[in-house]
Amino acid sequence: MWFLLMLVILLTNGMSAFGLKMIAGWGLPETVKYPYLTVWYAGGLAAIALPMLLKGMRVGKTELFWGGVAGALSIGGQIAMAVALSSGVPGHVVFPIAIGGSIFVVALAGRLVFGERMNPPTALGVALGFIAVVLLGVS
Amino acid sequence: MGMLFCFLGAISFGLLGSALKAAERRKANAAGLVISAYAWPALIMLVRTLLLKSGDHVPTSVYVIAVVFGICTAVASLAFQVSISIGKVTVGWLMMNLSAGVPVVVSIWMYHEKLTTLKVVAFGLVLVSIFFLSWGQVIEKRAIASTSAKGE
Repeated sequence: MWFLLMLVILLTNGMSAFGLKMIAGWGLPETVKYPYLTVWYAGGLAAIALPMLLKGMRVGKTELFWGGVAGALSIGGQIAMAVALSSGVPGHVVFPIAIGGSIFVVALAGRLVFGERMNPPTALGVALGFIAVVLLGVS
Repeated sequence: MGMLFCFLGAISFGLLGSALKAAERRKANAAGLVISAYAWPALIMLVRTLLLKSGDHVPTSVYVIAVVFGICTAVASLAFQVSISIGKVTVGWLMMNLSAGVPVVVSIWMYHEKLTTLKVVAFGLVLVSIFFLSWGQVIEKRAIASTSAKGE
C-alpha cells in the first residue's frame, strides 16, 4: 500500500504543474492562467467530491477548518515566493530555499511535534532526497 | 528583503505539511480535507477570473488540460494524506517534492530541453533516495510485525 501511494504521489504530483508549462509553450496571454487555475482546482475538487458524495459522505467541521488552514498556508507560501521573485531574487535561489526549507520544517515538526523516529536508511534517504530536491530547484 | 520572503515561503510550505499531519492526527477524513483545501482556492480563483474582464478567448484545450492536471493534483494530495496515516510525514512530503523531477524528465523528452550534469546528478540522487526510503519502510514494517508477533 505504502509503495503504491508513493508511486502515485511521484507521478501525479510531478505532472500537476506541467499544464502551466504547456500553456506557456502555446504563447497564450498571461491572463489565461486565471481561468486555467479555476478549472484546475474545480476539476480536482470534483474528482474527489463526486465519489465521496455518491458514497453519502460529508465534509465535517474538522475537515473544513484544517482544509482552510492548508489553503491559507499554501497561498501564503505562493505569495511569499512571488514577492521574493519580484524583489529580484533569482529563481534558482528562491525555489531551492522555499522547497528545501519546507522539507526541513516538516522533518523538524515530524520529530519534535509528532514524535516520528527515522531508522538509518530512512534518514539517509531523506538527506539524499533533500539534496536532490535542492539540485532540481537550482537546475 | 527578497531573501526574507524566500524563508517565509519555506516556513509557510513547511507548516502546510505539518498542518496536514496535525489534521490526520485529529482523525480528519482524507477526502474531505482535500475537498476543503481545494474549495477555498477554487473560489478565490473564480472571483479573480470574474474580476479580470480581459475578454481574451480561452481555447477549449486549455480547459481540457486544466481538468486533467487538476485531477492529477487532487489524486496526489489524497495519496499524500492517506500515506501519512501509515507512514512518516517527512517521507511523504519529501516524495511530493521529489516528484519535481518528473516534469523535468517529460520536458527533456517533449521539449528537447538540455540534460545538464546537474540534472543527471539530481536524478541519480532521486533514485538512490527512493531506494533508501523504501528500504527504511521495509525495515520498519518488519520491526512492527516482529513486535506484534512477540506481543501475541
